[in-house]
Amino acid sequence: MRYILTITLLLLYTWVNAQDQVVKMSISFENSSLKDVLISLEKNSDYHFYFVEEWLSSDLISGNYENETINTILKDIFKETDINFYIFQEDKIIITRNNIIYDKLPEGFLKRTEEFIVLDDLEDLEDEGNNPVFYTEIKSVKNAKIETIRIGREDKNNKQKRFILNGFVRNSITGVPISNLAIVVKGKNMGTVTNDNGYYEISLPVGLNTLEASSLGFENLLKNVVIYNDGRLNFDLNESYESLEEVIVKADADKNVKDANTGVTKINVKIIKNIPLILGERDILKVATTLPGISTAGEGSSGFNVRGGKTDQNLILLDDAVIYNPTHFFGIFSAINPFTTGDVNIYKGNIPAEYGGRLSSVFDIKTKDGNTEKFSGEASLGPVTSNIALEIPVVKNESSLLIGGRTTFSDWILRSLDEEELKKSQANFYDMIAKYNHKFDDRNDFKTTAYYSRDEFSITSDSLYSYSNRLFSLRWDHSFNDKNRGSLILTNSQYKFNIEFDGSSDIDFKLGYKINETEFKINMKYLHSKTHRFNYGISSKLYAVDPGNIEPLNSESIITTVIIPKERALESAVYLSDNFTINDKLLINAGIRYSFYASLGESSQRVYEEGLPKSESTIIDTLNFNKNEVIETYGGPEVRISARYFLTTDFSIKGSYNTAYQYIHTLSNNTTVSPTDVWKLSDLNIEPQQAEQYSLGLYKNLDNNSIELSIEGYYKRTRNILDYKVGAELLLNETIETEVLQGDGKAYGVEFLIKKNDGKLNGWIGYTYSSSLVKLDGDFAEERVNGGEYFPSNFDKPHDFSIVANYKLTKRFSLSTNFIYQTGRPVTVPVGNFIINGSEFVLYSDRNKFRIPDYFRLDIGLNIEGNHKIKKFAHSFWNISVYNVLGRNNPYSVFFVSENGEIKAKQSSIFSVPIPTISYNFKF
Amino acid sequence: MKLKNKHQIISLILFGFIINGCVEPFEFNQETFESALVIEATITNELKSQEIILSRTFEFGEEGPNPESGADVRIVDDTQGQFLFIENEAGIYVSTSPFSAQANKNYQLLITTNNGRSYSSTQTVLTQNTQIDELYAVRETNDDDINGMSVYVDSFDPTGNSKYYRYEYEETYKIVAPNWVPFELIVIGDIWPWCGVSLIVREQPVRVCYNTVESINLNLTTTNGLIEDRVSQFLVRFLNSNDYIITTRYSILVKQHVMSREAYVYFEALNAFSGQGSLFSQIQPGFLSGNIFSDNNPDEKVIGFFDVSTVSSKRLYFNYEDFYPNEAPPPFIVNCIPYAPTLFNATGTACGELISGLNFNRIVYIDENENPSISFPGPYLMVLRPCGECTALGSTIVPDFWEE
Repeated sequence: MRYILTITLLLLYTWVNAQDQVVKMSISFENSSLKDVLISLEKNSDYHFYFVEEWLSSDLISGNYENETINTILKDIFKETDINFYIFQEDKIIITRNNIIYDKLPEGFLKRTEEFIVLDDLEDLEDEGNNPVFYTEIKSVKNAKIETIRIGREDKNNKQKRFILNGFVRNSITGVPISNLAIVVKGKNMGTVTNDNGYYEISLPVGLNTLEASSLGFENLLKNVVIYNDGRLNFDLNESYESLEEVIVKADADKNVKDANTGVTKINVKIIKNIPLILGERDILKVATTLPGISTAGEGSSGFNVRGGKTDQNLILLDDAVIYNPTHFFGIFSAINPFTTGDVNIYKGNIPAEYGGRLSSVFDIKTKDGNTEKFSGEASLGPVTSNIALEIPVVKNESSLLIGGRTTFSDWILRSLDEEELKKSQANFYDMIAKYNHKFDDRNDFKTTAYYSRDEFSITSDSLYSYSNRLFSLRWDHSFNDKNRGSLILTNSQYKFNIEFDGSSDIDFKLGYKINETEFKINMKYLHSKTHRFNYGISSKLYAVDPGNIEPLNSESIITTVIIPKERALESAVYLSDNFTINDKLLINAGIRYSFYASLGESSQRVYEEGLPKSESTIIDTLNFNKNEVIETYGGPEVRISARYFLTTDFSIKGSYNTAYQYIHTLSNNTTVSPTDVWKLSDLNIEPQQAEQYSLGLYKNLDNNSIELSIEGYYKRTRNILDYKVGAELLLNETIETEVLQGDGKAYGVEFLIKKNDGKLNGWIGYTYSSSLVKLDGDFAEERVNGGEYFPSNFDKPHDFSIVANYKLTKRFSLSTNFIYQTGRPVTVPVGNFIINGSEFVLYSDRNKFRIPDYFRLDIGLNIEGNHKIKKFAHSFWNISVYNVLGRNNPYSVFFVSENGEIKAKQSSIFSVPIPTISYNFKF
Repeated sequence: MKLKNKHQIISLILFGFIINGCVEPFEFNQETFESALVIEATITNELKSQEIILSRTFEFGEEGPNPESGADVRIVDDTQGQFLFIENEAGIYVSTSPFSAQANKNYQLLITTNNGRSYSSTQTVLTQNTQIDELYAVRETNDDDINGMSVYVDSFDPTGNSKYYRYEYEETYKIVAPNWVPFELIVIGDIWPWCGVSLIVREQPVRVCYNTVESINLNLTTTNGLIEDRVSQFLVRFLNSNDYIITTRYSILVKQHVMSREAYVYFEALNAFSGQGSLFSQIQPGFLSGNIFSDNNPDEKVIGFFDVSTVSSKRLYFNYEDFYPNEAPPPFIVNCIPYAPTLFNATGTACGELISGLNFNRIVYIDENENPSISFPGPYLMVLRPCGECTALGSTIVPDFWEE
């Protein structure tokens, strides 16, 4: 009740304020356009106008006003037009076009709309004014009675069975159109969605229909509409009072069922706030791994395996720029600042034609736009890291700067430990992000992001490892007209690592690796019609890889400087896709992308004797290429096609077929990912990877989109995926192709997901049954692994089950839990011992023939929101969580060591006991 | 180059306390055992009876090796030369006549096992011959903060062709029994009630002995990546200052094998697989293909590498006083505190510990026990055998090469 009162008072305040408006002004103009008049009004006053240019007629007007209120002036100049205006927050004026027209207003309604000037009348709308429900609009909608509205005059000559109802839906406070709002007809399997201008149109059967629109962040709308003829009905939705605990704008609640793409996962950062944390970190990418189809090789392995794909097959984009290593500290923390992140879209099935270059998935991470109205921020304090994000308006209502930074205290913790071994070690990381967004006008929007992350660790006193990601992106969105929009994107990303070895001998060295890519992309959208929505564009990316150099660290060192020559390549693509709505039920998204890759000089490439395994002794020629000379080209068409068919309004079936090329590979002879894995470009001897995927799924939303059910199956084949000869040396190897094997992959699986997005109990349950296989075959024994047969990949985990649940006890307290179960990953184990030179060694089994024990883990968390006093400086939020409550010692890897000539099996685990953490967050 | 240790460096426990990562023993239920032929075949440019050892893999937890007997072993060269091997001991095949590998010849190893399966190696040539420049010992404290003697080797190949090296050593040390006396106690009756011993003058002088031990690890290095083909201060052996083997005089013979790149890669990978695993990343193990294959079934796993390498060796001697002047010698390998076991057991119903200790060759006499007491009840003061008889640890025969 208290909230309701507050809101009532607020409304009253605005109203009183409006009444107090005594600001008078003088202005005169002759033969000016409406637009110019508005601009000059804006210049000469504190008012800000919000309008759509096309609505203003180009007719020239003249006028002279002295000491008039803005109300009078506007009323006068809009007299001859169909323009309405609405003043709110004292200085904001929203110009609207003949939207809400009531010829009879209900009693009491006037109180709220006194400043809303009705200038034009439309006849075909009737409203039953004697219904006093408008009074209840400012109460919680739960208590509201259903208002009945009659549309159109009954025309006896009209024999039509259905009539068109249209109108606009806007936010009652800000007047901003509400787009993508689903309006459904209760009990009739009919519905529509508002467009970007908040406009909707729906065909209704004659007579009584109950319209329902619900959206988180807004109060539910429920109206009885008795329709006799075509007509218009506008809605103003009140913002939901739950906004105090963060509004979750869930406009596209039915996307799950409606979108044509298969295998799309959207993670909203706000939703993940409540799930239990590891070491106090809210981690978007960790959350992703609890969803079907996305997994990691284990705790502490960076990189993701999406639908049986390797970790290098994911395109991870942060504001359009590639981030090569999105993790800190061996994957235990993600390098993505949760406070600055808006949404993450993960495409694991049909990848839109716009994206390319990686086979398995796209993680499209978008940083949120900073607040352009007021300075705000968010900060957290955890046991290992602390984090801050600030939103700074630069030009009010136009531009804003968002900055975020994170750092760790781990160095301090390591130093304060008792253990001698750990005192020597150090580990620290940080990441920083800055984003500037500037909305010049309705047609031009400019965004730029800069990001830097760095990790440094040393485990022995004489070595220091470091790696860093740097990226920069620039995006200009321009709308040419209602139908054509475009984005110009320029990005640059760099990933590098360094190893410094400073021991006591003369082999001290410094080793560095660096990859840099610059991409230019033009992405266009053409909304041809309701049935055809095109997306097309071109992109071109220049890679420059410094595969490594090793330098002596001091003059005593006899290490020779080795510089493996740079690699360069150009990857370009053109693409076109059409979102083709064939009918109400069938939607096809057909896309094609043609990618083209050219490996560029300057370079020396080795030619190997055909029919023999590649080795230093089979080199028959070395070709030298000049700078920018094309060494080798690859390319081909990539098909991206998917379709959705509505079985019922909230039940759909989707299928997709997808192919892709990938021209860049990671070199790693580890079973899991390490930060010193290097990226290699395709060249004369290393061919690009290829994949094709089929998926088919069923999607059903229940209970007004609050529960999403889906089941999706996929079958994927890959070619030319990189693997290595046993015991290969990959770092600083000039003839890397002699160590590399290119093989085939095969993956298939079924993914189930039940997701409940809101309510007291929310969360999801996911289960995946999958298989991921690799085949390495060749003409020579050294090129064959497991006799050239398919074998499970390192991350093949047939059963993967997870529950993420959150239960709201009260408005302030909520309990959350994660439960994860996975089949243990495959390992290669010794199957026999032998002695060579007096030492005992082991003979290994076929690769990945055995499995480590299954993985399971339970986490629980308690979230406490600070109280909701509006005037309080900051909203605080506590999270207390225990990771691995059961204390299960999940083996991360199993290995075998020869100690004093005897073979011993060892297992390593990362989090073997329950880890309690507490973190404090606040927002201001 | 230490690069190969990348994974070991990343291996240790980070954040130990917080993350609580740990490495612990793990019970792995071995379900399958695979039997495979293991071939140790390194022939060198030394003129000698070359040796090839054949065995089979053995199960986890069993004692190895498992010799492969009855095989036909021969080496052929590309000039129709043929060297036959005969089985000397179980699984150990020795060339019928001494020979040395010659430069510019291709050698191939051919084996036919008892069960009729045949195996052959690829054609292999002798590697570059490079001498050890220097072998020296330094007393220092190593990276693990242990004080001791480091034995280093330097080598240089101006042609730059050697690049891949393997070191073996054979160490010989002089042992002086600290409690040696010229008498020994022998058992003359050990069946109760006839329990008796007799003190006699030793026939053999067992005070000074020598023991020789061969290295058993694969000690590899490469100069690949260095400005010149120079092995500099490569640690072949580290002796803890507390190691009793340096108590008097120590000698080490270091053999430097120059290997082919392929052999190096093979043995290096073998080493890597059994090295320390890593917490965060594990090297992908698997079956390593050498240069010996089955003629019958190309997929059969054959272990080992036929290596034709040059050998250069150097010997080094040092005395304890040279590096540890006026310092107490390292503790002896066993505790030499005397005790006095009795002739009969406590109840007098059987022969005592003195008899059994002598029978098991566990203890030796050092003196009469002039004042028997409760803690020293027996008639003689005895010590553990190594304290009085160096033959417990070595041989009294002075090696041919030994220099004082």
